[in-house]
Amino acid sequence: MLESGLIIRALMRNKIGALLIALQIALTMTIMVNAIFMIQDRQQQMARESGINEEDTFYLTNTIFAQDYNIQVGLQTDLNAIRKTPGVVDAIQINAIPLSGGGWSSGLQTEPGEDKDGIGTAIYMVDDHAINALDLELIAGTNFSPSDIGWRLPAQSAWPAKVIITQALANSLFPDNGQSALGKTVYISNNQPMQVIGIIKNLQAPWNGWSGVERSALVPFQMESRSGRYFIRTEPGRRDELMPVIESMLANSDKGRIIRRLSTMEETREQSYRQHNATNKILMTVVSTLTLITAFGIVGLAIFSINRRTKQIGTRRALGATRWQVMRYFMVENFFISAVGITIGIIGTVSLNYWLVNKFNMTPLGFELIALGVVTLVIVGQLAVLYPARKAALISPATATRTV
Amino acid sequence: MLSMNNLCKVFQSADIQTHALREVNLSVNEGDFLSVTGPSGSGKTTFLNIAGLLENHSSGEFLLDGENVGALKDSARSRLRNQKIGFIFQGFNLIPDLNLYDNVDVPLRYRGFNARERKQRIHSQLERVGLASRMKHLPAQLSGGQQQRVAIARALATDPRFLLADEPTGNLDSEMAQGVMSLLEEINQQGTTIIMVTHDTELAQRASRSIQIKDGRVSEVPPLMKRVIA
Repeated sequence: MLESGLIIRALMRNKIGALLIALQIALTMTIMVNAIFMIQDRQQQMARESGINEEDTFYLTNTIFAQDYNIQVGLQTDLNAIRKTPGVVDAIQINAIPLSGGGWSSGLQTEPGEDKDGIGTAIYMVDDHAINALDLELIAGTNFSPSDIGWRLPAQSAWPAKVIITQALANSLFPDNGQSALGKTVYISNNQPMQVIGIIKNLQAPWNGWSGVERSALVPFQMESRSGRYFIRTEPGRRDELMPVIESMLANSDKGRIIRRLSTMEETREQSYRQHNATNKILMTVVSTLTLITAFGIVGLAIFSINRRTKQIGTRRALGATRWQVMRYFMVENFFISAVGITIGIIGTVSLNYWLVNKFNMTPLGFELIALGVVTLVIVGQLAVLYPARKAALISPATATRTV
Repeated sequence: MLSMNNLCKVFQSADIQTHALREVNLSVNEGDFLSVTGPSGSGKTTFLNIAGLLENHSSGEFLLDGENVGALKDSARSRLRNQKIGFIFQGFNLIPDLNLYDNVDVPLRYRGFNARERKQRIHSQLERVGLASRMKHLPAQLSGGQQQRVAIARALATDPRFLLADEPTGNLDSEMAQGVMSLLEEINQQGTTIIMVTHDTELAQRASRSIQIKDGRVSEVPPLMKRVIA
């Protein structure tokens, strides 16, 4: 017989200690579940694929300082030299790097006009080697041809006539049927037409926190700029070996520029999500610490309660309680305290999540995470009370006859 | 019903041995009202603890209803206490957070009675001790004598074979002590065996049998001597 009624009635006469622990459990539940929810949300963000080959790619910045430098010739010379280097699969000049945090964006719209809403899109200016260099998956249409590639001059406002877009962008532009985007004309800068000649499966924008991170467009431009980025893909496993080779080759081939900021895509991903990782670690530390403090609180309350009730426990033993029945008493008592805490905690969890969802535009947490919180705290509570309950069970029934 | 043969109890602490009981030979029969007297530290409480299965003896034999209890496991001893022994303590030992009804309910729950059976027993015992009207009161709301009556009701609720009373009037004034003693005598007359440890020689003489413990040795006080003392 579980003595539930007796336990509840006894608890009701000593509410304060039990209520404080219940509130601690409620607070732990509220913070724990929402923190895990935030951790999961970040982990899901970090697990998203950028769409490009990250293992075998790196990039560098080519900065020209010589005054009489022919940028267009120099760019072609550099790219030809890099592409011919044994072990290099392909190379391009690119205006922005996925996940790097800095890049270009513009609005694309399906109808011309300043009064039409555009869909925010990351713009990558690349040549016809981009699909190979980035290792993108072209799922419909065709790649650019060499003749499509134009020069983007400083302060130029005209855009090329062709564009390759991601599937996510196609779905945003044409919500009824994303695949129908192929061959359609879309407009940039309100009224400059571009024909969609290809759709790629995925290519993330440079900004990982942007809600439209999957919306990107490749435009066939090479930039006449005194500072540009080269993006290089190597054969599998040869990236680290080729990085210094290419850096040295470029640096030595022309003394009118400097090569700097060599970085791999893996480093870029790590830097991009460094804050996410740090936040997750902090949240995990908070959750673990809070859970531990709650467990210690339960242990403390149980030990205090047992010390206060030593004679009572001895009396119960004298009246016929077995050791297991004494132990069970404290475990059931803890279960009731936990149940109250968890019930308040569920209300707190849902309320906090509701606020987070509205404030930060997050998806609401699922029932399974709340269930996980409930199960975790019940287990933590029962484990925490195990030692004090066992201590109580070992109290001798002869304690009942002691006068002190 | 209760038989102790050459029973000894030795407490061992570090390198000191304390002989609390020495070669106790005693039989308690059905319906006896046995008083146990002796000076402080003589071994009275140890005797009561062993008789009530609250602690184990060191050597010798202890039979309860013919069963050798020395070899029983802790859980079996708990069951036996619940089924056969009722305890009345000097300090009443009621659970302060529970009302009278729930206090009497405690041993009944360990026994595994169903709710209806428990309710019937609780009402019947509280009526027997004259406290049925106060069953929702907390122990702190009662006088000492009333609390001891509740403890008696709790002890009797499981229909024990015998009652062990440890200084049942020790914390009561003389008027209340008389009331409690009269109740115990009434219970004994109805057939319940009682073993009562007491300092009070006057109360001890009201028992049908008396033993005295001195330096751990038990000696029976003859009825004649009891009358002379009286």
